[in-house]
Amino acid sequence: MAEIQSGGDSSGKGGKKRAKKQSTKVDMTPLVDLAFLLLTFFVLTSTFSKPKVLRMIFPEKLENQPNVKRPEVKDAVTILVTGDDRIFYYTGAISAATQLVETDYTKNGIRKILKEKNIGLLTELKKLQDKLNKTDEKDTAATNAIDREVKLKQKESKLVVLVKNDDKATYKNIVDVMDEFMICQVAKYFVTDEGFLPLETKLISQMPSK
Amino acid sequence: MPKVKMPRSNPSLDMTPMVDLAFLLVTFFMLTSSFRSPEPVLIDPPASTTEKEMPKQVFLVTIDETGRVFIDITNAAVKQNVLRKMMKEYKVGLTDEDVKKFIGSGPLGMQMAQLPAFLALETEKRNKVAEAAKGVPYDTAQKIRNCELFKWTLNARIEADNDFKQREADAEAKNQPFDKDNYMQFVVKAAKDTKYNVVKSVIDVLREARVSQFQMITGLEAKPE
Repeated sequence: MAEIQSGGDSSGKGGKKRAKKQSTKVDMTPLVDLAFLLLTFFVLTSTFSKPKVLRMIFPEKLENQPNVKRPEVKDAVTILVTGDDRIFYYTGAISAATQLVETDYTKNGIRKILKEKNIGLLTELKKLQDKLNKTDEKDTAATNAIDREVKLKQKESKLVVLVKNDDKATYKNIVDVMDEFMICQVAKYFVTDEGFLPLETKLISQMPSK
Repeated sequence: MPKVKMPRSNPSLDMTPMVDLAFLLVTFFMLTSSFRSPEPVLIDPPASTTEKEMPKQVFLVTIDETGRVFIDITNAAVKQNVLRKMMKEYKVGLTDEDVKKFIGSGPLGMQMAQLPAFLALETEKRNKVAEAAKGVPYDTAQKIRNCELFKWTLNARIEADNDFKQREADAEAKNQPFDKDNYMQFVVKAAKDTKYNVVKSVIDVLREARVSQFQMITGLEAKPE
């Protein structure tokens, strides 16, 4: 690779003195070495993508405001997250006659159920999204109006989902459930502070194990 | 038969384009890369479909599988002010040089009382000690407001607020535009297999310090459909 400096060796006939023809080429091999060394260093040390984040909002603790009454939810879906990646749900208030249903984290599991329950809001949002696609992006008044409507629809949405977990549930399980809420556009969900009710624990223990 | 003469080619290559390319790439990587910050523990976060990027200024709470907590503040000025407040509160004396070392030392995962001895160590030894540390204490069985994690959070929140106001005033005085969204946010980075109740008890401590919004760091996952 290296340039071979030939010529200019005037050991021949000692007659005429010729001006040495110096090569204009510079040996660039060390330069390339250095460049690639730096390149490798930067490729290996740099983190390319910024990490992504999932937003979670926790309300102020109830102990700080003792006069606030806990809202009663009648038609809520309650999701019970427990160990071994198992997940159950039931609808409405809990009673001894409540039927627990076991589901899973796949596309046809909890996501399908949430989508079915949330179909009203999903179709409304879909319509608005289509409307948004048709309107001109520069028309800020129109896009803002659609934005407001989306917020309003989310506010009016009837579906409320509660998430409860026990000691065995992992962080991944909860993040997965949150993610499903995002995908299914569930506007109202709560991760409760206290674990399972005694009745819920009992119902789970009666479920057949996998 | 005449001899077949191979044309004598010059063995040297013109390397200029290659050098050009190499340096172009070097420049590109230098300008776009942000360095990986030192991490005492390797965390494998769960994946989600969210596309929101991590904010610039964060109070990072790292939780590993065993429930150890490490904290870090990305804004150096805030980090320094918080440390000075903590030194007063826990009566830990550190020299100015130690404070400087602390800012460059990455996430903190130990008690305040252990800090002086830790900072006195050499850099290489420090990494080992940081790995073996027990994490910032956050025993919620006792009074939450007495634990060190709570104090760190509270002071960080106050100092970040002051810093925000300071930057806003500076920008106004210089007539420069001010980025209102560039404030410190609380980011939780927990491992997949951490028990959620452990994460929750850490979050409870932060909630006690009146932090209600959290950003959970997650890996990337393809969106459905």
